Amino acid sequence: MMTGLGATVTRAGRRLLSSLPALFGVLVFTFLLMRVLPGDPAVFFASGPNAGKEEIEQIRKQMGLDKSVPEQLVFYLSDIGQGNLGRSMMTGQPVLKDLRERLPASLELTFTALLIALIAAVPLGVIAALRPGSVVDHGVRLFCALGVCVPTFVSGLLLIYVFYYLLGLAPDPTGRIDVFTSLPPQRTGFLLIDFLLAGDVEGWWTACKQLILPAVSMALFVIAPLARITRASMLVSLGSDFVRTARSVGLSWRKVVVTYALRNAILPVITIAGIVFSTMLGANVLVEKVFSWPGVASYALDALLSSDYAPVQGFVLLMASLFVLVNLVVDICYGIADPRVSIE
Amino acid sequence: MRFVSFRPATSVLAATALLLIANAPSQAQTRAETLRYVTGASVNTLDPNIPGSTRESFALSMSTYDRLVAFGRKQLNGKWVFDLDTITGELAESYDVSPDGLKLTFRLRKDAKFQDGSPVTAEDVKWSLDRCVTAPILGKAQLLTGSLTSADQFKVIDPLTIEVTLPKPDKLALPNLATVYPMIINSKVAKAHATPDDPWATAWLKEHTAGSGAYVVETFKPGEQVILKRDESWNRGSANKPAFFKRVIVQSVPEPATRANLVERGDADLVVDLQPSDVQSLEAKGKLKVISTPQYNAITYVSMNNQIPPFDNVNVRRAIAYALPYDDMFKAALFGRGAPLFGATWPDGKPLNGIYPFQQPVKMDLDKAREYLKAAGLPEGFSTTFSFNVGQSSTAEPMAALVKESLAKIGIKVDIQKLPDAQMSTQINEKKLPFFTEGIVAWLPSTDYFYRNFYTGNQRWNYSSINNPDLAAIAQEARFEPDKAKYEEAGRKLNAMHMDLMPQIMLWQPNQDAVMASSIEGYTYEFHRQVDYRDVSRK
Repeated sequence: MMTGLGATVTRAGRRLLSSLPALFGVLVFTFLLMRVLPGDPAVFFASGPNAGKEEIEQIRKQMGLDKSVPEQLVFYLSDIGQGNLGRSMMTGQPVLKDLRERLPASLELTFTALLIALIAAVPLGVIAALRPGSVVDHGVRLFCALGVCVPTFVSGLLLIYVFYYLLGLAPDPTGRIDVFTSLPPQRTGFLLIDFLLAGDVEGWWTACKQLILPAVSMALFVIAPLARITRASMLVSLGSDFVRTARSVGLSWRKVVVTYALRNAILPVITIAGIVFSTMLGANVLVEKVFSWPGVASYALDALLSSDYAPVQGFVLLMASLFVLVNLVVDICYGIADPRVSIE
Repeated sequence: MRFVSFRPATSVLAATALLLIANAPSQAQTRAETLRYVTGASVNTLDPNIPGSTRESFALSMSTYDRLVAFGRKQLNGKWVFDLDTITGELAESYDVSPDGLKLTFRLRKDAKFQDGSPVTAEDVKWSLDRCVTAPILGKAQLLTGSLTSADQFKVIDPLTIEVTLPKPDKLALPNLATVYPMIINSKVAKAHATPDDPWATAWLKEHTAGSGAYVVETFKPGEQVILKRDESWNRGSANKPAFFKRVIVQSVPEPATRANLVERGDADLVVDLQPSDVQSLEAKGKLKVISTPQYNAITYVSMNNQIPPFDNVNVRRAIAYALPYDDMFKAALFGRGAPLFGATWPDGKPLNGIYPFQQPVKMDLDKAREYLKAAGLPEGFSTTFSFNVGQSSTAEPMAALVKESLAKIGIKVDIQKLPDAQMSTQINEKKLPFFTEGIVAWLPSTDYFYRNFYTGNQRWNYSSINNPDLAAIAQEARFEPDKAKYEEAGRKLNAMHMDLMPQIMLWQPNQDAVMASSIEGYTYEFHRQVDYRDVSRK
């Protein structure tokens, strides 16, 4: 066991190192891409009713755009080296501060959505695989197809319409917490955790209520790939020799399906979950917009529309780093789910 | 196992009970005394002077800072709007304009205090105005339009009197002092946070306030929300008492449908940026108060670049002006919510008055349009692009489709171009777009101001890139024209030239649709096109 863990850690470390060049590449690529895109941020931000040439020049200077591109790149890289991601013109704050405040919001939403999706998708996939071709299987297929077909912002708006507007069950869809509730002292940035740490159960429940609708509308979208992959790999697993053997020696249904078949079938699900998580984090921009969720994706979209370079670059860097991290976690999960993976 | 699950449950219950008891009184107190204002925009700085600040930041600063003077308000078709011609004291108790119009003297209120309790002095006023014309901030370009350009123009006479001298009797000097930028800052506090690189404390004031305004900033989360608390000692309002609401929450809600839901459910009190379709359905339901004011200092145009062929030919521009389906566009884009600037009748072919913007005597007439095209030597038509920005797509998209359809009938082939906002402004600035739709706004809407800023010079706001020396000269002369009749005459001349040259086509002035709970009163359309939180109260 110890050697297994050790091997996993070494492998993870090696993976981390080998991803550094890729991160650097992403950094330079985004930087250049932003400069190549048409649209001059200085002109956009100098849009007061009397802003003229002078203001535009001034903003250009402030954003460092008066220098040549190679010079800008050198400055940018040295800033990154010092942990400075620049300043956003849009919010007027340092990008690092913006991202630090907004990332927990996005993560909390994405984690919850992924959790809901997994809790729903894995049993659905297993049930479908146990009775392939049955009404249940077709029902699951239909549900998944619907989930994928309906764009997240449509399901989000529908959920708001039904649960907030018509029934009045959900709180108003404006961000992570009711405006009249005071925030807990910030420790992790995850409201659900911070409220618990502060012992404020009522606050926890407020935050939880705000989270349910956006998380469900995101989960609906990703249930399909997860359930389909669970079903497919369960089918393979259920048809394999070891399951037939287990059945033939008269092991209980539970032991056969859950312990042997599912554990062997879960590997591809973990891979997909990792990919789904990363995509969700970047792609939940529509949900964030609909629910006024102060997350990183809507922040990056706003920045992109106004050609605000620093936040977009910061966001891409963050996403790339998260991708690396998620892949690491997936690797480690592999090792736990299937110790053979660690043996090289 | 049982013990473990049992104990947290009881402690959770106990904690909940305790919290409920503790929270009960503080929650009941505030809702009626709180204004919850939702908007699609966001506040990005506490100092509106910072380049890049949003309109929402302008509105916020009106409540957190005072100015020397303020605009009064008047009724226009039964709705309250700001009044450029009535200027009342805000921090100034009274003011005098010398007979030659070159000297403005302001006497400050004796009881005016900054939010930290220190009195407002003429020194603070001078420092703030100096900052506005000296520091590299937005105020500089604005005050220039009122002949306020140098710190030498502001003189402290005594601790409560300040004198402003002008090189010319500029009508716009006094109104300029009531705009967003020349706010009065507590100079002692600001100076304490100034650095050698930043002598005007712009970095610090971006995230802190040091003013004497009606509201104190309680929390400021850029891009999310700002919570304001009333300053109980503030008495610059109309009735010598503090502002009505104890608390104001300014919250960013990007999705317009959600904003509509919020205000309809009564969770939000006031919103001014809904989609015209939502406003119409909310108005039809009749539960909420909807106040629609044509934005009489804003105009939406279809612009043509007068320097790029074929639009450099006046007959092509006239052809376009007679080929647009105005009524359909007005309905499709705005649901008719606004004041049209087309379809007037000029009985003797002359402008009805000298006020800009004015209703042009144009309407869709395809035969006339074809004639003009023929006169321009392009009877077969031509191809061009029509651009608008993504931020305006809800109104511009249906409009663009109609323009395309209608121009196709006279042989002009139009490709619709939807550009991201930053790209659109860049291309406008570089004068690269031949044919597009855009809007403008003027804080101090007077005829000469419009013509000087939007029809002259090689600068961004001259959308049509018109370069007509006669027009520029008349507008420049009108600026300092003291005689009302002569000014009116100049205005008529300019309007006639506009109709003749047709540099761009004025479409309409969109409505500002303020939707609010029926208990909200006192809403006024302000020059900055946002809500002044000090105006509103609850019945």
